[in-house]
Amino acid sequence: MAKSFKEMLAESGQELEFQSGGKAPDKLTPRENIWESHPRIEKLKEIYMDSLSSTNNEFPYWYTREYFQNDNEIPVIRRAKALKTAFSHLTPLIYPGELMTMRKGSFFRASFPMPWLSEGFYMANESSFYKEALKRGSASVDEHSTMGAGGGNVPKSFGKVMSIAGKFGMRQEEIPVLLELAKKWEGKSVDDLGNKYEQMVPDYDVKEAIMRSVVCMFDSGFTLPQGREVANYYFPLEYGFEGIKKIAREKKNEVAGKADGDGMVGMNRLYNYEAVIIAIEGIQKWINNYAEHALWLANREKDATQKKEYEAMAERLLWIENNQPRTFIEAFQMIETIHLAIVNEDAISGLSPGRIGQVLYPWFEQDMAAGRITEDEVLELLEQDRLIKTSIDCFASVGVVGGVLSGNTFNTTSIGGVNKHGQTAVNALEYLVLKAGGTNAMPQPTLALHYDETMPADFLSLAADVIKTGSGYPAFMNNDVAQEFLINHYGHEGMTVEESRAWSIGGCLETSPCCWKPLHLNGKEYSIPGGAGQPTSVGVHFIAMPKVLELVLFNGVDKRSGIKVFEPHNKKFETYEELVEQFKAYWSKAVDVLALTNNIQHDVWRKINMGIFHSLTKPDCLESGHLINELGYRYNATFNVESAGNVTCINTLAALKKLVYDDKKYTFGEMVDAIENNFGFKTAHEIGKFSLMDQEKKDDATKKYDKMHFDCLNAPKYGNDDLYADEILLDWENWFCAHSETVESLYGEPMYSCQISVSTHGAMGSATLATFDGRLQGTTFADGSLSAYPGTDKNGPVALMNSATIWDHSMSQNSQLNIKIHPSAIQGPEGSKKLLELIKAYMRKGGFHIQFNVVDSKVLKDAQANPQNYRDLMVRVAGFTQYWVEIGKQVQDELIARTEYESV
Amino acid sequence: MEDKIYRNSLNYIPVDVAKGIDRATGASVNADDLDPNYERMQKCMHCKNFTLNKEKIGLGICTMMGKEHLAYPDMVAITCEGYDEK
Repeated sequence: MAKSFKEMLAESGQELEFQSGGKAPDKLTPRENIWESHPRIEKLKEIYMDSLSSTNNEFPYWYTREYFQNDNEIPVIRRAKALKTAFSHLTPLIYPGELMTMRKGSFFRASFPMPWLSEGFYMANESSFYKEALKRGSASVDEHSTMGAGGGNVPKSFGKVMSIAGKFGMRQEEIPVLLELAKKWEGKSVDDLGNKYEQMVPDYDVKEAIMRSVVCMFDSGFTLPQGREVANYYFPLEYGFEGIKKIAREKKNEVAGKADGDGMVGMNRLYNYEAVIIAIEGIQKWINNYAEHALWLANREKDATQKKEYEAMAERLLWIENNQPRTFIEAFQMIETIHLAIVNEDAISGLSPGRIGQVLYPWFEQDMAAGRITEDEVLELLEQDRLIKTSIDCFASVGVVGGVLSGNTFNTTSIGGVNKHGQTAVNALEYLVLKAGGTNAMPQPTLALHYDETMPADFLSLAADVIKTGSGYPAFMNNDVAQEFLINHYGHEGMTVEESRAWSIGGCLETSPCCWKPLHLNGKEYSIPGGAGQPTSVGVHFIAMPKVLELVLFNGVDKRSGIKVFEPHNKKFETYEELVEQFKAYWSKAVDVLALTNNIQHDVWRKINMGIFHSLTKPDCLESGHLINELGYRYNATFNVESAGNVTCINTLAALKKLVYDDKKYTFGEMVDAIENNFGFKTAHEIGKFSLMDQEKKDDATKKYDKMHFDCLNAPKYGNDDLYADEILLDWENWFCAHSETVESLYGEPMYSCQISVSTHGAMGSATLATFDGRLQGTTFADGSLSAYPGTDKNGPVALMNSATIWDHSMSQNSQLNIKIHPSAIQGPEGSKKLLELIKAYMRKGGFHIQFNVVDSKVLKDAQANPQNYRDLMVRVAGFTQYWVEIGKQVQDELIARTEYESV
Repeated sequence: MEDKIYRNSLNYIPVDVAKGIDRATGASVNADDLDPNYERMQKCMHCKNFTLNKEKIGLGICTMMGKEHLAYPDMVAITCEGYDEK
């Protein structure tokens, strides 16, 4: 019987402290706070909990049919007509008990393919485009991504239901048309057309090798080309849809035939305004279909209360189809509709509603004053909002949905922050937004709390109570650090201090530029925040730092696959500095080729698949007549370079520096040999387990590498307030953040660094050999960008925070620190106080983000063994919360292994 | 022969691809079970403008407004302006 890593550690007297600050109680400890939602919401939630992620061809059918009828049209009009027809034909679906309605499609958890973006990943195996996708490396990531087998996922086909991408269920009756529609887009989709032109980039072969060896995790321009941004509901809320159409018609008259000094795209304004009108007509028809359906339901309903609710729903829908909402519930219904319309227009993850407690406040304030609504009724609506947002799925490949998103779509709501004048923006409605996060604890919207020193103490206490429900939210984001980043990066586009205060989180953790707009309701003016920037987390997607370092060790070759990725450097690395220099050279090469190729993908996207409805909602498209593709948004410098495996790489460099260059205990060659042989262990894939502790020695392994392995494990590690490792982090951050700013996006703007892991630490770890920090082949990287590697943060949370804040977080769009705490460590009011003090300390040190998993690791182990008992168990993965049963095994293993703090 | 099953019936509220709710009883039901309160749902298969493709399973042609378009029998046509029941 092969020895496990855990046994080896015990025998040698070594230890990794997976519990820090004490010992957890022996028995399973539940979470302290368990709150309940309204009965109506509980009933709807029961349906959700039993529903499968489902897809059909309704939207793509009508889109495709209309698109190909208009091959004589200007691209923006062609797309607008296709969108209008698709929205107009979506079958309405209303469930009994709903107060607000509308959904992506005609299932509780509906989504649909968009073959005009990408069709290769779900086409039949014999398709030449499918084979092409394999060659491009799109499928390499899929091989390293796992999807949770439970919850609403459809991991396998059954009965008359076919599984697509291990997540989505489609009726077998729909498969022939799925493939037929996909064939119509062969060679015309953004994916195919983008690939045609990206091949013209010199060194395209390097890009292909990068993708196939999983140095980078997925392309940008055709996967999730929009999202990780903040929605803006202002224009429909201020003017109503008819009001926007009136503006567009007037603007058409103003601009028809005029360039107005812009010989390049000035003339396009006419077509853009026409497209806006067409797209809105589609949304109006969609709303009207729901209203008609509500009336149809009312007519056949026998229960008087339910009948009245259907009638009231119909009346609200018919009103907002054309007009500015009058009441809180109308305004809420309207922003739900806008939100769903945007995520139906394109493949999007991370469309964040933003600060809805401030956006909806005018209606809340006036309805409360007039006695039209109670706080309890508002809370009930906010609870339903959580159900609506959690039901939003996004149809994409296994690599994207499983390997990156873990099935989540990151519709994050922000709370707190400051108002236009710099005072706390917390209001009475925001208390209810926060409370609903506890009374209806569901993964979405996750809550991002913009922390600043003026935030009311009772609001923070409520936040601590919600964290103790085990929801994983609110995450705390540093308001001052975010504003500093925004002013630095978007200053040249006009970002001011006042405007920077409007910011919100877009997606999980993406600091996104927003603006204030004057909302008028019954003669009173309010200033409301909303998104004003292009998508973020686009451009150069996740590059695995440990993988780049691995390529340095093996002279540019991916040892696992045998693929030559970079030109050989042929260096001996006499000094540590020489090695780091080569690491940065390979990193730069990867960024360079990925930026160029992804710029082309996005350029193809903007030419044929531009957002139209989404664009009209974002300042300043309606004013300028230019949509997203013509820099109509106020802020366009939103593209980025994303890193993954930050802490694993820093620890690896620290071990190398210590053992080879400073102590000279091993030669460089000896260390590389150990990596090549995985320190004498089987790979994680061989045993199907992905955390370090569960790894097994090879059956015939000698003890050749044991001592070196322990030395690697005992080398300095990030997270202990040890400058040896932390200064390596500092050096990297200073270089990486500055280097990212030298990369140019297709919009002619500088990029920036983005440092979140999402779920990539699982899939990318899976494709990476052992590392000098002692991690073994195929196991996950440390999560986030500043979370310690499991078991290596031995000096407590304050030391971890000191390590994390050695660099200036405002240089980057974000940083990410996840901490797992045993429920007993923050029990009672005293525990809450300690938790908040810990958070405040981190914010004062300049940390940007911190969040908590309040869970007993034993519960997670039990949930992995008995998933049927844990359908509603939620965990914080990265910048999002997800149901345990819908997470892949790699990330589950990593979550169990994370260091558990027994005291704070 | 018409399949009088839930997923073809207006008496059915789809939850997902496999199951839904019987409107009349409120019970959770399988999509492919026979519906005792069956009410025909508008689907392309019931439309005069639709012709089934005998050679390609699951596909057909829609001739709405004089043009021929790809179509499929199972598609819900509740929102289709050209739906003309056979």
